[in-house]
Amino acid sequence: MAFFGPALVLLTIFLFLPMILTLVFSFTDFFALDPSLTHFVGLENYFRIFRDEDFSKAFFNTVRFVIIIVPLQGLGALGLALLINKMTHCKKYFKVAFFIPVVMSLAVVSTLWMQIYSPEGILNAILGFFGMTAQPFIKSAKQALPSIAIMSAWQGVGYQMIIFLGGIQAINPALYEAAEMDHATPWQKFKDITLPELKPLCVFVLITITIGAFRMIVQPMVMTGGGPSHSTYTMVYDIYETGTVNWEIGLASTMAIVFAFFVMILTVIQTIVTRDKEGKHANKKTKKN
Amino acid sequence: MIAASLLFLFPVIWMLANSFKGDAAITADMNSLRAFIPPALGGSFLNNYVSVITSTGFVRYMLNTLLYAFTLIILGVIVNGLAGYALAKINFPFRERWLLIIMLLMIVPMETIITIHFLIIAKAGLLNTVIGYVLPMIVNPFNIFLFRQVFLGLPDDIYEAAQLDHCGPVKYFFTMVLPMSKSVVATVSVFTFLGVWNDYLWPSLVFTSSNLLTAQIGLNAITSNENTTMGQTLAAITMITIPVILIYSFFSKQIVEGVISTGSKEG
Repeated sequence: MAFFGPALVLLTIFLFLPMILTLVFSFTDFFALDPSLTHFVGLENYFRIFRDEDFSKAFFNTVRFVIIIVPLQGLGALGLALLINKMTHCKKYFKVAFFIPVVMSLAVVSTLWMQIYSPEGILNAILGFFGMTAQPFIKSAKQALPSIAIMSAWQGVGYQMIIFLGGIQAINPALYEAAEMDHATPWQKFKDITLPELKPLCVFVLITITIGAFRMIVQPMVMTGGGPSHSTYTMVYDIYETGTVNWEIGLASTMAIVFAFFVMILTVIQTIVTRDKEGKHANKKTKKN
Repeated sequence: MIAASLLFLFPVIWMLANSFKGDAAITADMNSLRAFIPPALGGSFLNNYVSVITSTGFVRYMLNTLLYAFTLIILGVIVNGLAGYALAKINFPFRERWLLIIMLLMIVPMETIITIHFLIIAKAGLLNTVIGYVLPMIVNPFNIFLFRQVFLGLPDDIYEAAQLDHCGPVKYFFTMVLPMSKSVVATVSVFTFLGVWNDYLWPSLVFTSSNLLTAQIGLNAITSNENTTMGQTLAAITMITIPVILIYSFFSKQIVEGVISTGSKEG
């Protein structure tokens, strides 16, 4: 128990206590600059944030961000892993190349892409070279969020690529050998062996990307300050501003609880959906046989 | 495929090439392939780097971050390692219950409680101190779990033999368990380093004093200064990226293993 002690003390102060406080404060109007005014307000904060324009905007931005980045990054990672797995040499070089952005920090990547996305930046120069008109990217309320999503997918895709590569290499080669004896086409091999074998991993990858997307804050903080006109404001950004800039801890705690709830619900939904599909898949297989 | 990887890395190549140029050259090269080629070696080649190093506190911020990272690696390996060892090998009340709690904590997003961390550190008068920055980051449920999984596989007879030699559990942990588990210690250390080096949100809350800033926050201070040129910005973000690329090239095995272990654990 003595071995567990130091961790237990720190867990208590920096995880259990904050979690309990967050829950308790979410039912109060705790204002950190004047704690003496604190009242218990019941569920009022919860009703308030759903009427709150900024928070609903932040929520729907987060959902939009997820819808763009999950397929982009997930399919990108799977595609890269399949391509690299097929390579006969220099595998290592490509693994390194696609993983480099993962180890770069969000602040660095954001600062770099701010230059790239700038109206006179290199991306517009490239578009101009192909005869396309210059785009405002992060300067426009319409394009800012997709621009940040593309950048984030670029940064993160190498991580999931490594996970997929690990999964592909763990598939029993005997399965492919058997398929070759049956003269299976590459597409059949992919559809009937690789994809089913990778299914649990796909679910895991989609969940990680979704949760990562829900937690986004640094990119808009560095690049856009949440703008233009709140188009890149996210849930965590709202929690951060409400809690540490405006000191409205009560309200920020309510948002944090709602945020944590969504993250957990999402995890549960995705797990259930995939379990269903796996069941159906198994049924189909037995019918065919 | 080579073309694809170069295309993929175009932002990084552009960053590197233009970090050696003055702003006039960056703009002039923008519309040709020269945008991706560094300028000829000459007297002004390192100008941006020299001015970032001499006229800003950037080197100091990088050394600060290095110090914080090493502090957190040492404390983190000890605290999380001991806890992981306890969960794997020592019988104590509610051990299985604690293991479940640790696993549940792994799914709590840190962003949920960062406001309260800030409040606790502020109330304790620890804002703008190294202690205030380091303290909430030591314990990490994921690392505890990682250590526990590895220590579970350690043979018990070595411990029994060590006990016969009057080697107490603490001494045994530091002289036997950790050295036998170099790989997981390296993985945790590398990820701790990358985490501290790249962290933005927490240091931006704790540090406002310019002496203690981490490199990421210092970068923000430098780029938001109107006198900073684009070339200097690119030089600063290149400098901040060099250590993580070095770490990655030395420890790519640990990093890849760490990444795959998160995938296979739940997948």
